[in-house]
Amino acid sequence: MPGETPDPRPAGLKRRNMETKTAKTDPQSPSPFLNLEDLRPRLVPRKRFTDRFMPRHSGQLLFDPSRCTGCGTCEMVCGNRNVSLVAPASASVTVFRDEGQGKNFALYCQHCRRPLCLEACPTRAITRGEDGIVRIDRVFCVACGLCTMACPEAAPLRDHRTKEIHKCDLCEGDPLCARHCPEGALSFTRGKAFRWIKGLRWTVQALSFLLLVFILIGTFCSFQAGVVSLSCPTGILQNIASTKTIVLTGIATALALLLLTVIAGRLFCGWICPFGFVLDLVGKAVPKKISPPRWLANRLNKYGLLAGAVGGSFALGYQAFCTVCPIGTLCRSYGVQGFFRGAELAIVPALAALEVTERRSWCRYFCPVGALLALVASLGLIKIVIGAKKCKKFSCVQCAEVCPVGIIDGNLLREGVSPKIPMTECISCFRCIDRCPYGAAKIRFRWQKGVPGEEAP
Amino acid sequence: MKREDDRLTRLRKFSKAYACVECGRCVAVCPMAEMYPDFSIEMSPRGIIQKALRDGGGILADENIWYCTECNAGTDVCPQGVSCRDLIGGLRKIVLEGHPAEQMSYCRDCGKPFLARPVERFVMGRLEQEPPNVRALLERCPACRRLTYARRNA
Repeated sequence: MPGETPDPRPAGLKRRNMETKTAKTDPQSPSPFLNLEDLRPRLVPRKRFTDRFMPRHSGQLLFDPSRCTGCGTCEMVCGNRNVSLVAPASASVTVFRDEGQGKNFALYCQHCRRPLCLEACPTRAITRGEDGIVRIDRVFCVACGLCTMACPEAAPLRDHRTKEIHKCDLCEGDPLCARHCPEGALSFTRGKAFRWIKGLRWTVQALSFLLLVFILIGTFCSFQAGVVSLSCPTGILQNIASTKTIVLTGIATALALLLLTVIAGRLFCGWICPFGFVLDLVGKAVPKKISPPRWLANRLNKYGLLAGAVGGSFALGYQAFCTVCPIGTLCRSYGVQGFFRGAELAIVPALAALEVTERRSWCRYFCPVGALLALVASLGLIKIVIGAKKCKKFSCVQCAEVCPVGIIDGNLLREGVSPKIPMTECISCFRCIDRCPYGAAKIRFRWQKGVPGEEAP
Repeated sequence: MKREDDRLTRLRKFSKAYACVECGRCVAVCPMAEMYPDFSIEMSPRGIIQKALRDGGGILADENIWYCTECNAGTDVCPQGVSCRDLIGGLRKIVLEGHPAEQMSYCRDCGKPFLARPVERFVMGRLEQEPPNVRALLERCPACRRLTYARRNA
């Protein structure tokens, strides 16, 4: 019903603007016409708590071009589904054959998360059900073909005998084409059953927050227990600059974190940093309303702040940044001594308020601790790769949506180009890998060539 | 001019436009009413059928024949078997055979006229929230779009 169910799409995309208006002006008066909205399934799926960890998929057809022989069995079985129209012309999948290079391609509907065909359909015959399957309602379809015109892949196909439009409906959850494909080029998957990285990351983040803030008070900055000692690399750098003496033990302890960064990227930022945990929590609650000015939203700002922090320490004779460092402040905040640092602690909500612009804006643009780790991470052993050939492009740029530092170029993915991910900016949270239902996002070693779907055999 | 008139007569016969009884069923189901706020009797299938019957060659210069999506709706419901889709499609063909008309948008790759401008405006209006590179994909005809997509991914 218009006006009742929250629509996740932006206001301009709502197709029922006209009806919403009339419903708002006089919701009580019964319409003399049949309300089409009552007849169709709900467009917005209900969210369950378990969806966060165990996503409900309608399933997805996957296509492996290297296996396809172009035999056309998929076209045949799909065309035979409707007994009155038996012929490959009425199929909703079509195979492009290239005899010269042996490259074949099966084209079918990808069941977009935000279908363009649904927006363009003038009779509102196309719906996206709760199960994620995009269907054409035969009662309303007038075969105008505007869905084909709006689809970036032009996947809805016209049957040239009856002039009808045919589009894949996944055979309501058990596609015949995947069942009958002799080479296994078409396969049906329901995606991941369980998003374990997500659960693991939040647990580690919460535990390290508890550990660093409440148990080992003030010890991220410098921590010593017997022979084990750890310290913050940026703090050590400022320490050296302010005292103008090089303390070898300090450098050795700072190396532990740098080593972790070389091995696993900025894992500290994504998994351990207590302030990052606060930002993640705040970012969940705060709506993203303001777009920051361009000079502020520059990823090079953080290197400038790092240089400023070291230079400031050199000039002032004490660790200039450490006094206002949100991570350090948070670590020192608990307990009796922290109680008197009320003014200092104000930096945490002040910087967390930056979340109204973009997720993790502090980490993206300003954090000097992250800047030092980013410099080291450029030597890192691992990288994250996303293979556009293995993913669903237009229909799903979930990786770009979930990336908290916004380094995955969704527009490149939409065009079918694998984006290059700068590991200096990546905070190694692995959200993209966790979210991708098609296994297109992977961790690779630095020296490995190619991306999923395009590797040399 | 003579040849054009011949073709018009044949088109009227082929689409059974002579049989039209002006019942208005095609107007009732026409999706153009939903698409264009200025939907009028001149734009409606009944109006175009009547003008094609009465107005001779004047219908070819009429702007209103370019609003149609060439769907099945009117043809399906017509009690007399008139095909407004075939009539309007045929009228457009006659115009396009003379010279490329500016009322059609042409495929960026193959140059085929694939969508009438008013319909394209409607589709683009519905998709105005999409990023420009997705909208740019829609400048190709469906066949070229499928081929580009297949070539890039195969």
